[in-house]
Amino acid sequence: MKKLALFAITVLIFGSISPSLTNQAYAQNDPNILLRIAIQADKQIVNQLDKKYENEIPNEINILYDKGHEAVKSLDQSLSNNDIEKAKQDFLLAMNSFMQISRIISQSSEKIIVVTISEKSNRNVSNEVDRSEKYLKTLESISKKHNDIAQSRGEFTKAYSLIKEIRTQISTDQNPSKNINELKFLVESIKKDMRTSLIEKKSIIIKQFFEKLIDEIDQKIMDIKDSEIDQTKIDRANELILEIRELLSKNQINNAKTVYSELKIILKNIGIIVKIT
Amino acid sequence: MTSLIEPIQWNHSLGDEGILFVRNDGIFDTMVKTPILVASMIIVAALLPVQSSFGSPRDLDLIIYPDGSTHVSLEIHVDPFLTDFELNLFGSNIDNLVVIGDNEFLLDSEIIDDIALIQTFGSSVITIEYDIHDLVSKQGKLWTFSLTSPSDFTLLLPQNSAIVGMTNLPINMEIINDQNQLTLSSGNTEIDYFFSITTITNTISDEKIETDYFSYAIVGGIIIIIIATIIFVKSKRKNIQSVEHIQTSKKNTPLDIETIFKLKPHLREDDKELVEFIFNNDGEVLESDLRKKFLQPRTTMWRAVKRLEREGVIKIEKKDLQNLVKLRKNMEEES
Repeated sequence: MKKLALFAITVLIFGSISPSLTNQAYAQNDPNILLRIAIQADKQIVNQLDKKYENEIPNEINILYDKGHEAVKSLDQSLSNNDIEKAKQDFLLAMNSFMQISRIISQSSEKIIVVTISEKSNRNVSNEVDRSEKYLKTLESISKKHNDIAQSRGEFTKAYSLIKEIRTQISTDQNPSKNINELKFLVESIKKDMRTSLIEKKSIIIKQFFEKLIDEIDQKIMDIKDSEIDQTKIDRANELILEIRELLSKNQINNAKTVYSELKIILKNIGIIVKIT
Repeated sequence: MTSLIEPIQWNHSLGDEGILFVRNDGIFDTMVKTPILVASMIIVAALLPVQSSFGSPRDLDLIIYPDGSTHVSLEIHVDPFLTDFELNLFGSNIDNLVVIGDNEFLLDSEIIDDIALIQTFGSSVITIEYDIHDLVSKQGKLWTFSLTSPSDFTLLLPQNSAIVGMTNLPINMEIINDQNQLTLSSGNTEIDYFFSITTITNTISDEKIETDYFSYAIVGGIIIIIIATIIFVKSKRKNIQSVEHIQTSKKNTPLDIETIFKLKPHLREDDKELVEFIFNNDGEVLESDLRKKFLQPRTTMWRAVKRLEREGVIKIEKKDLQNLVKLRKNMEEES
């Protein structure tokens, strides 16, 4: 019996400490990665400096580079000594120095072009097609799951053909803008079709959700019925619950949602918070 | 099972301090069946790490395209008793937003500036995918990615990009199809990179020699459990009937790909691709390799693998802390 108890305790202790072991192991996952990144950055900076200044590197940059390079060497040393904390500091110091150098280099370019990626004109058409394809695949995966209209009409096949055509146009330097617009229109139409075909399933899910919620609220109101809370508020809450149930039975989901918003305010005043049970 | 709980009235004396002593030797034997207790303990120990990871609020994966646009994929646990969920997006220039709820249901959403109002209606886990154009800026030849992330995240950098500066410590780094994928911790992150045809990837793709403390902990834990179980079994000195290992050579013969698809005709096309890839890899592959091959975010691949596991097409085993996905050899009988 004692052995059994000992076993149980051992298992529990192990079970309790294992999550913390996971976290520690995760944080220290291959510290050599830091050195690899720092060495890569160091070499890139040397390349950039060679291209930009050849042998006439400004003193300010030289100082920064030496600082960064020394930090990389120190990082190597710290890792050899298994001093992870020092290694982290060395890494950040090195990468910070290289970051400053790269920013100085890019600022001192003869023609500084600051590109705002958010402006549509600066986006790459090929990348835009890649993104549309990824978006389409996500929609297709949902569509297949629910066997909806877009799926049965073969609209995804049409969209993939368009993507193929656009890629050919890009590679042969033709203007793909017409096909891109067509693709966008088609993708939006697919999404619209998906929403339409899912509407019935969705209304069932929403109804189930509301019924579950309303049942719980109902129970909570019953529980506080005899307390000192203003009875008119409780009556109003009950009226709204009835109204929601009626709206749900008529499939008027949006109206039910509006009434639920009003109910939530009253519940808050009464002091009822609906949470996961 | 001889000793029973002795009623306290049977004690001859309660002592000067009035402390009640109860014989507890037989409590376990009397109240609980010991095999159930042992099994429960093992299950508890095995589930604890799973529970802690399940409790994590978000899973966030980012992919930067060469033009600086970024694909965001995140999974959020939401209160299933809420009708709506307000999600703070990482910017306001958003394209291709898709929100998927429980059972892969497409949820309605509306973007107002940098907030997405999502109608969750009972979903407890939602997956959000969108493209954003606010996270990367470019000055001259230097590209800068900046993000204040609420959680740890993975970042897949474009091909031929070379990191020249960063403000955050990476947790991990992998090479996926010649692209660097960093795992970064929450908080403010700035990463500067150039595009270079002479990207030095060799230094990064060197063989990794990892000091994996968690593996040691797992192995140690398993050894402890095994030793303790042996002690327990021996102490009981019960006659234990040997367990027959039913292994037929027929079951160990892997099914060919056509047979798998015949047995599971309703598999999704993308899942079939996964099955085919696993099949061509001698019937087993690491989940991380699937992600690399199909360039899918962690959550998407995890869902796909879980789907195939539910279908009985594959089984998932742990190997060096990773998920090893294996085609089932006896699918016909188990499905």
